[in-house]
Amino acid sequence: MKTITIALAFLLTVSAACLAAGSTKALGSPTAPITIDLYSDFQCPHCKELHDEILPSLIAGYVDTGKVYLVRRYFLLPRPYSRVSATYVCAAEKIGKYDQVSDVLWRTQQVWVQSGKVDETVSSVLSPADMQKVRALVKDPSITAEIDKDSALGASQGVNQTPTMMILYKGQRTPISGVISYSLLKMYLDKVLSR
Amino acid sequence: MASMTPRRKLALALRIVLGCVWLYAAYAKFRESWLVFAMSIDAYRMLPEWAVLALARSLPWIELAIGILLVAGLALRYVSIAGAAILSVFFCVMALAHSRGLGIDCGCFGPGDTLSGWTLLRDGTLLAVSILLVYLSWRPAEQVQEA
Repeated sequence: MKTITIALAFLLTVSAACLAAGSTKALGSPTAPITIDLYSDFQCPHCKELHDEILPSLIAGYVDTGKVYLVRRYFLLPRPYSRVSATYVCAAEKIGKYDQVSDVLWRTQQVWVQSGKVDETVSSVLSPADMQKVRALVKDPSITAEIDKDSALGASQGVNQTPTMMILYKGQRTPISGVISYSLLKMYLDKVLSR
Repeated sequence: MASMTPRRKLALALRIVLGCVWLYAAYAKFRESWLVFAMSIDAYRMLPEWAVLALARSLPWIELAIGILLVAGLALRYVSIAGAAILSVFFCVMALAHSRGLGIDCGCFGPGDTLSGWTLLRDGTLLAVSILLVYLSWRPAEQVQEA
């Protein structure tokens, strides 16, 4: 009985920790056989296409099943709101709200790209308290440094456009650029996993 | 070789260079899974999936054949036309994709070969050289000898 109580307490603690961590740019198990680094720019229309059309199936089919560890990385292109949008998402990640903020930015991309109202867009999905935290974090130099680190990592791997998926399996990197059909990606991932 | 006219020397050099380029293009595709090349083609968003799969399976073999025939100098007239025609299609498709702002791989020499102004310049030059080879290989024999 004592053992069960301890186990339950441990599980509750872990669950609470997970909930507190909230959503981050990394999805799935880090021990998954395949790692995909997805380099995107929130202002890139083709990245939006990939996010809307391919990512949900990829996550359901491979990330949630433990086959793929997906890391959504920032890769800035020379566009007016690339940095500011990435900064807000990165700041939101620090309070566990990555998905909420990134989702709204993808969903309303055409609107804020025209208006430049990134702050207002982000505030539409966060509570006033969370928004206050995000606004404070946006000014933190460590956020800028983290975004630049992702971009530098991508550049070091030969990434120079978005969207690019860097597929890593047993030490071998394969870059896939552009928006591709999920069925082809599925065929490729299945083939890699069957090796 | 010493008795060759400058034009024949030029034609020989062009077919060897182009042949090697075709062979390298085939090699770059064979060293990766054919599905990687299929995804590069698919990223252009111009073909249905069945055509993407068929092209990804067959194109590296066609490139290999063209490369071998060019280097060997076999059926040069027809092979030079085939090469120039295929490069023309590649160039048009790449130019169209570039004009649409697609951030994709060219797919020419394996993954990681970004479609850009540079790749258009490179493939445009290869196309120009291919057309020159067609011209040289189709010149009447006596004109080649006179030259």
